[in-house]
Amino acid sequence: MLNIFDNLILGFQVATSWENILFCFIGVLIGTLIGVLPGIGPTTGIAILIPITFGMSATTAIITLAGIYYGAMYGGSTTSILINLPGESASVMTMLDGYQMAKKGRPGPALGMAALASFIAGTVAIVLLTLIAPPLASYAVSFGPPEYFALTFMGLTLVSALGGDKPLKAYISAVVGLMISCVGIDAISGVARFTMGSMSLLDGVGFIGMAIGLFAISEILVNIEEPIKQVFSDAKLGIRSLFPNLQDWKDSFGALWRGSLLGFFIGTLPGSGATLCSFIAYAVEKKLSAHPEKFGTGVIEGVAAPEGANNAAAGGAMVPLLTLGIPSGGATAVMLGALMIHGLRPGPMLFSTNPEFVWGLIASMYIGNVFLVILNMPLVGLWVKLLKVPYKVLMPLILTISATGIFATDNNVFDMWVMFFFGMVGYVMRKLDFPAAPMVLALVIGRLVEMSLRQSLTISHGDISIFFTRPISGVLTVVALLSLFSPLFRILWSRYKAPGKSLA
Amino acid sequence: MKKAEMITGIVLLVLSGLVIWGALQMPPSASFGPGAGFLPFWLGVLLTVLATILFVSAWKRPANDKEAEPVFPGKQALFAIASVLVGVAVYISLIDTLGYLVDTFLLIVFLMKVVEREKWPLTLTISVVTTGTLYVVFQVLLKITLPSSTFGF
Repeated sequence: MLNIFDNLILGFQVATSWENILFCFIGVLIGTLIGVLPGIGPTTGIAILIPITFGMSATTAIITLAGIYYGAMYGGSTTSILINLPGESASVMTMLDGYQMAKKGRPGPALGMAALASFIAGTVAIVLLTLIAPPLASYAVSFGPPEYFALTFMGLTLVSALGGDKPLKAYISAVVGLMISCVGIDAISGVARFTMGSMSLLDGVGFIGMAIGLFAISEILVNIEEPIKQVFSDAKLGIRSLFPNLQDWKDSFGALWRGSLLGFFIGTLPGSGATLCSFIAYAVEKKLSAHPEKFGTGVIEGVAAPEGANNAAAGGAMVPLLTLGIPSGGATAVMLGALMIHGLRPGPMLFSTNPEFVWGLIASMYIGNVFLVILNMPLVGLWVKLLKVPYKVLMPLILTISATGIFATDNNVFDMWVMFFFGMVGYVMRKLDFPAAPMVLALVIGRLVEMSLRQSLTISHGDISIFFTRPISGVLTVVALLSLFSPLFRILWSRYKAPGKSLA
Repeated sequence: MKKAEMITGIVLLVLSGLVIWGALQMPPSASFGPGAGFLPFWLGVLLTVLATILFVSAWKRPANDKEAEPVFPGKQALFAIASVLVGVAVYISLIDTLGYLVDTFLLIVFLMKVVEREKWPLTLTISVVTTGTLYVVFQVLLKITLPSSTFGF
C-alpha cells in the first residue's frame, strides 16, 4: 500500500513537468473536440495523431494519446444531449434520456451531470487502476512463452467474440490480420515471407498506415456516401444552469457508483469496450429503478449511468493494456501500437522497467480529468458552436492530416499507399459488416503471438499439451476456447429454448 | 448481402489457398521446432474453414427482400467515393514531383471544389490555411523533411 503511494508521488513528479501538463491538456482538448464532432471517433483520432507524437518522449506521447481517448468520452455526450446525435458510439445511451431532458427545457443539468458523472466515474476508475494494476503486473511477470501465447490468443478470441454480433466475421478479420502480421522477415529464421519481391515490405506492413486506412479513410468514404446531417442547437447555456440540483444528485447517486464500478470492471475485459459498458449500466439502472417506465422520458439517472460507465471503462481498459499488453478494443489496440513505436514493450515488465512511464501516465489521468471537467462545464457553449463546422471542411482536413502523418512516420511514400489500400479494404469491410478492430489488434500483437507459439512448441518438442498442463496458461487457454465457441453455445441455447423454430 | 457474402467467401478461399501455397514454399526450420511457414500454413487452413462456413451459410440462407438490398450505394455516391480515391492516388503519385506544398494544396482544392462543390473563396481559404498549418507543424516544428519539388518547395 505504501509502495503504491510512493509510486503515485513519482507519477505526479513526472506528470507535473510543464511539458507533460501542456500535452495532457492538448490531448484532452483534442479528445473533447473529437468527441463533439460527429464523423470522427476516438480510434480514428488517436490513429491520425500518433505521427505528431514522434518528437516527444514516450511518456509525453502516451499521456497525449490517452488524453484523447478519455477526453472523447466526455465530448461525446454534448451532441447526444443537445441534438440527439452521438459524437461517438459510447454516447448512444446518453441520448435516450439526455435529449429528452434537453427537450423539456433542462439541457443544462443534463450536460452538467454528464460532465460531473464522467469526472466522478473517471476518477474512481483511476483509483481502482492504481490499486489493481501493480499486483496484477507482478503476478504476470512470471509468464513464459506458453502463458503469453495463451494470453494473446485469449485477447484475440475475446475481442472477436464479444466485439460485435457477427463473431464469424470478426474471426475472419482476426485471422487475416494475423496473416498480414506474417508479412516481412521472420524474426526467428530470417526468411522473407510474402514480400512479393518488394523491399518496402521486408519490415512488414506498417501498423500506422493500416490503422489509419482501416479507421480514418474508410470512415471518410462512408461519410461521403451518407452525408452527415447538420443539426444545430440554440440552447442558452449559462454556467449556473449547468449544475444539477440536490434532487438530481439524490436521484443519480446510485447510478453514479454502480455505473463507475460496472464500467471499470467490464471495461477491463478484452473486447468489451466503452459502448457495451454504457449499454449494460443503463440496463441495470432501469432494472433496479423504482420507476423503470420513466426511463427514456428524461430522467437524470439515465444520463449519469451510461456517462459514468463509459468514462470508467476508459480507465478500466488501461488495466489489461498496461499490465498484460492486451488491448481491449480498437482504440486501445492503436495505443498499444503507439507504445511499441515509442520503443516500450507493453506487458507486465513495464511496471518494473519503466515505472516513471506507467505512473506518470496514471497520474496524468487524474490531472486530465480535472482539465476535462473545466473544459466541459464553462466552455460547453463553445463546443456547441463548433458543431457548425461543416463536414465539407473537416473531410479534407482529416485526409491531409492522415496522409502527412503517415509520410512523417518513416519518410516513406510507400506507407501512404498502405493507407490507401487499407482505406479501400476498410470501406468494403464496413459495408459487409466485418469489424476492423480484430484485424488491427491481430497485426499489433501478431509477432508476439507467433514468437510465443513457436517458442512454446520448441520447448515442448511440438507437443500442443504444453498450453493446457501449465496452470496459468491452462486457464487462459480454456477461457479462450470457451469464448471462441461461445457463438455456437448461443445458437444451441436458442434452439433449445425455441424448439421447432429454424435458425434465422 | 447474401450474394456479397458468397463472393467474399470465394475471395477469402483464394487468399487462403495462396497463403498455404506460399507457406509450403518456405524452408523448414534449420534446428528443431516449427519454422517460418508454420503459422501461415495453419492460418491458411483456419481461413479456409471460416471462409467455407461464411460461403455455405450465406448460400443456404433463404433469399428475402432484405437480403436482396444492394450492399453498395448507387452510382452517384460510388462516383463521389471513386473521385476521392482517384484524387488521393494521384496525390500520392505526384508528391515527389510537385513537392508537398503544391500537391497538398491541389488535393484540398480538388476535394472541396470538385467533390464537395464548395464555393471558391472558402475552398481557397481552407486550402491555403490547411496546407500552411500542416507544413509549419511537420516541417518546422517536428523537423520532418517533407517531399519537395526540383524548385525547392
